[in-house]
Amino acid sequence: MLAFAEQAVNGLMMGSIYVFVALGMMLIYGVMHVLNFAHGALFMLGGYVAQTIFMRVFDNYLLAVAGAVLFLILIGALLERGVFAPLRGNLRNQVIASLGLVLVIQNTVVAVFGPNALQFPVQATRATVQLGPLSFAVQHLLIIAVGAACVAALFAFLHLTKLGTALRAVSQNPRGALVVGIDVEATHKLAFALSMALAAIGGALLGPLFLVFPQMGDLPLVKGLAGIVLGGMGSIPGAVLGGLAIGVIEATSTLVLPTDWKDVVVFCTIVVVLLLRPQGLFGLRTRDDHG
Amino acid sequence: MAENALLKAEAVSAGYGGRMIVEDVSLSVAPGEVLCLLGHNGAGKSTLLRAFFGLLPGRTGHVAVADRSLDGLTPRGVLLTGLAYVPQERSVFPKLTVRENLRMGGYALDDAALLARRVEQALDVFPRLRERIGQLAGTLSGGEQRMLEVARTLLLDPRVVMLDEPSIGLAPRLAEQVFSTIRDLAAQGRGILLVEQSVKRALAVSDRAVVMEMGRIVLEDSAAALASDDRVAKLYMGAAGKAFDQPPR
Repeated sequence: MLAFAEQAVNGLMMGSIYVFVALGMMLIYGVMHVLNFAHGALFMLGGYVAQTIFMRVFDNYLLAVAGAVLFLILIGALLERGVFAPLRGNLRNQVIASLGLVLVIQNTVVAVFGPNALQFPVQATRATVQLGPLSFAVQHLLIIAVGAACVAALFAFLHLTKLGTALRAVSQNPRGALVVGIDVEATHKLAFALSMALAAIGGALLGPLFLVFPQMGDLPLVKGLAGIVLGGMGSIPGAVLGGLAIGVIEATSTLVLPTDWKDVVVFCTIVVVLLLRPQGLFGLRTRDDHG
Repeated sequence: MAENALLKAEAVSAGYGGRMIVEDVSLSVAPGEVLCLLGHNGAGKSTLLRAFFGLLPGRTGHVAVADRSLDGLTPRGVLLTGLAYVPQERSVFPKLTVRENLRMGGYALDDAALLARRVEQALDVFPRLRERIGQLAGTLSGGEQRMLEVARTLLLDPRVVMLDEPSIGLAPRLAEQVFSTIRDLAAQGRGILLVEQSVKRALAVSDRAVVMEMGRIVLEDSAAALASDDRVAKLYMGAAGKAFDQPPR
């Protein structure tokens, strides 16, 4: 039981990372209908930027995360304007472009920082918190807490503010959005900025635990996508619960099966869920619906 | 053409990707007047409304509402100048509530208190929507969704409302409701520009009508006169091809 609780917390931690990736991809998918496969590479870039600021500039984790967020929002704005906006109206080319961006970003990072993993020695990875008989690194709990806070903030923004409601309106009916005077292009930029902020926070949170390296975003990308599919394409609550579920399933599976099998367990679970509910756990079975 | 026209379009040409669908169209709508655009499918009626609303880049000619030019404005600017548009396809947001949909209708308004007041006013006009205020718009019936679209335009207190086939897909009784709502809007002094497939219904609700063919206006007269015009009768019978042999221009 203790081992289970420990693995559940570990799973929630990794699940929170997957949620960062899943939500970031869902925000862009919601308004632009593009699955941005470069999201994992941007997540990795967020880790590098935070690590660089932390090691060479400020030695302050909070400032490092904030710097990574700002830097990625800037990169996102450039990508949106330079890559995705010119391809507007051609979904397939936008997806292909996002795949190309993976190569560009990963190789640029290798060229600048080298191929080796970098240390990101944040105090919170060494400090521990005692929860009953179990002890966890502060970083683990920090990831879960920041993840929950970001999810809550995103929900509040989407549901309680005019701008957030407009974002949902655009994702549900872009033509209707034009009719009420919403600037649809501006909502694309906003969705991109939010998505980049989430990627940067995710990368900056995971880096201190598992080092910063050029492929650090690959697995979170795949698992985040798996969370999206599990939760239901296009559903934000689905992306949250799907991402968390993937994290917990893979962590607790190591209690009964060898660790190497955790990916098998995760993807088999998805296959079974999709066989029973092809639309995912929270997806609605509809045609031509991107709400 | 009245001197005090609310909506005035002069020599408007517009199309998609450099191909002109609508050419040299001039028309005007007076306060309290319902002007109906008639014509076959593909005559350019919907394109004309989209062009007025600022959705078609490269539109030429001039459009003004209450003497304020709409030329070069984005849809937001057009809305704030006083022209609202209900397109033919569904424009409600299916997974927003009725209240959220109404608030989005006032998206261009920056004054939150004014927006809240206008939402209440719109709900007074459409009590049916008040009953369903918390429901997702996608769960409303087709007629209720149309009502929501019309109610939503009221949030900006438009001088002129353009409606593209508002009765499409509605049962006759619901279509009647939509048309009576349109008359109510006109009675408040707003100008209405209506596109409607059903010529008989359209002429019954309109004061004046213009007939479009191949992107041009070929006939303009009072609704009563057009209702007894043979050429319009031919159009209304659904005769294929050109109803008018020689355009007057």
